[in-house]
Amino acid sequence: MRITQFLASKLKNFSNLPKEYIERSKKQVYWQTPKEANYLPRTVERKRYRYTTNRSWTGHFRQQNMPGTSRRKVFVEPIEDWSFFRGDRIEVLVGKDKGKQGIVTQVIPERNWVIVEGINWHYRRVGAEKEFPGIIIKSESPLNVTKDIRLVDPSDLQGTDFEWRFTEEGEKVRVSMRSGRIIPIPETNNQTYDYKTPNAYIEREKDTTAAVVGEITFQPKLATFEMDIMEEMGIKEERTPAKSYWY
Amino acid sequence: MSATLIKCFNLAKAVGTGAFRNALATSHSQVAAWSPATVGSLLKCGIHSNVPLQNEKLMEFFDDPKHWSETEVKVGRAWRTDELRIKSNKELHQLWYILLKERNMLFTMEHECNDKMEVFPNPERIDKIKISMENLETVVRERNKAYHLLETGETGERPQKQIHNAFGLRCNYKTIEHVLPPFMNTKWIKAQHNTYGGRAVHKFLLHYREKLYNVKRKAKNRSRNEVMMTLRRNPNIDLQMLKRKYPDVDIDKLLSQDKTRGHYVTKVDA
Repeated sequence: MRITQFLASKLKNFSNLPKEYIERSKKQVYWQTPKEANYLPRTVERKRYRYTTNRSWTGHFRQQNMPGTSRRKVFVEPIEDWSFFRGDRIEVLVGKDKGKQGIVTQVIPERNWVIVEGINWHYRRVGAEKEFPGIIIKSESPLNVTKDIRLVDPSDLQGTDFEWRFTEEGEKVRVSMRSGRIIPIPETNNQTYDYKTPNAYIEREKDTTAAVVGEITFQPKLATFEMDIMEEMGIKEERTPAKSYWY
Repeated sequence: MSATLIKCFNLAKAVGTGAFRNALATSHSQVAAWSPATVGSLLKCGIHSNVPLQNEKLMEFFDDPKHWSETEVKVGRAWRTDELRIKSNKELHQLWYILLKERNMLFTMEHECNDKMEVFPNPERIDKIKISMENLETVVRERNKAYHLLETGETGERPQKQIHNAFGLRCNYKTIEHVLPPFMNTKWIKAQHNTYGGRAVHKFLLHYREKLYNVKRKAKNRSRNEVMMTLRRNPNIDLQMLKRKYPDVDIDKLLSQDKTRGHYVTKVDA
């Protein structure tokens, strides 16, 4: 994904985790050259991961991508503009729920998947042991966004094809091809694991309050950071440094 | 040596005391509306307000005991550069040590949790602290650069340059501060390997460049295969988009090949 596309993508990060953490948590380094002058910087690490419904920072993901194992490559159709968001009403085009409509609850862009509430589900047995038969739970399988689903037109609640267009204000919107109506991106897309709306975020013990963050205390001054701090602490430096050469 | 120690000691004393905490405390009353600008891990250092005992000082390396048994310790996001740019040098200085202490605490807790076979809650806190510290350093460097450019016309950063090392490879050379000018510094002149040459080095470079070329060639082949497999699996894919994504691949040529055709009978619309 190019950086411009990434910036243009309207898909929000539901987990609200920093990108650095997501990268770090899935990393599997098999060998790294020591940081010495006589070594070139080389790293042998896992390059290809199998993305599933388990998110890449979880233990399940690691279990499915155990170090040293490899699975067949999955070809994912490249998509330029991601168009299906949490909270979207969609129509199913394939499978036993063909023709049904549902709300998208989870988006997995690594595989072009969405999970739709109450659609395409199956029973799954978990926790079975020798003595205990386990319990049966209902779980939804993902649907492919390029082939299995299409958006629902909000004007007549029928499935429709759509197109990305620009409004006169320059905003990028999805437009129904049949009725020409804008299909708005649902507010649910902006929700994260930590808060539903930014205003509803609950202040924690370790957080700095918004008022303190927004306070402007900087005053321009002809001094470096160090000079300013030294003056603040009353450290006086009267020695002049000897002439030196950088080369 | 002792002067530096005393300086360090003074610095350590000054940080974490009064001012920033007071600023935090006063603003508590002002909080009216909530905005998303909650920032991770800042209040932590305010817990030990009195002069701590020796034992308590050590315990600052650990989290608050009430968090020990928790599976989730929620915090906000990292500080952004825009938010740090409006803060004074003094506050940035204090914030740096608050972040540093928090990072030490998190590393200690992570180590301890691993030791005791327990789950370390919210490990992304370490990354948030790291991002905050990187942003803070960026802001401080910006300010220093501005001062030096204004006063001396140079950035004031440590000068670096690209040189060829003895193997003929381009590498970054960070300059070093010397007492003597370069032409007088015979020891330095003797130690220089700025030039390269000789049969062995040229042979090495030949092989090295071949290796680099192979990497490039394989990447090209890989992207061509990728396009081929994508076309085979998705016959109705948007070709313009594919061309934008893989500008080096000749897609029109690929389309005429058998390999891009799927292993299925094409449907004919009645």
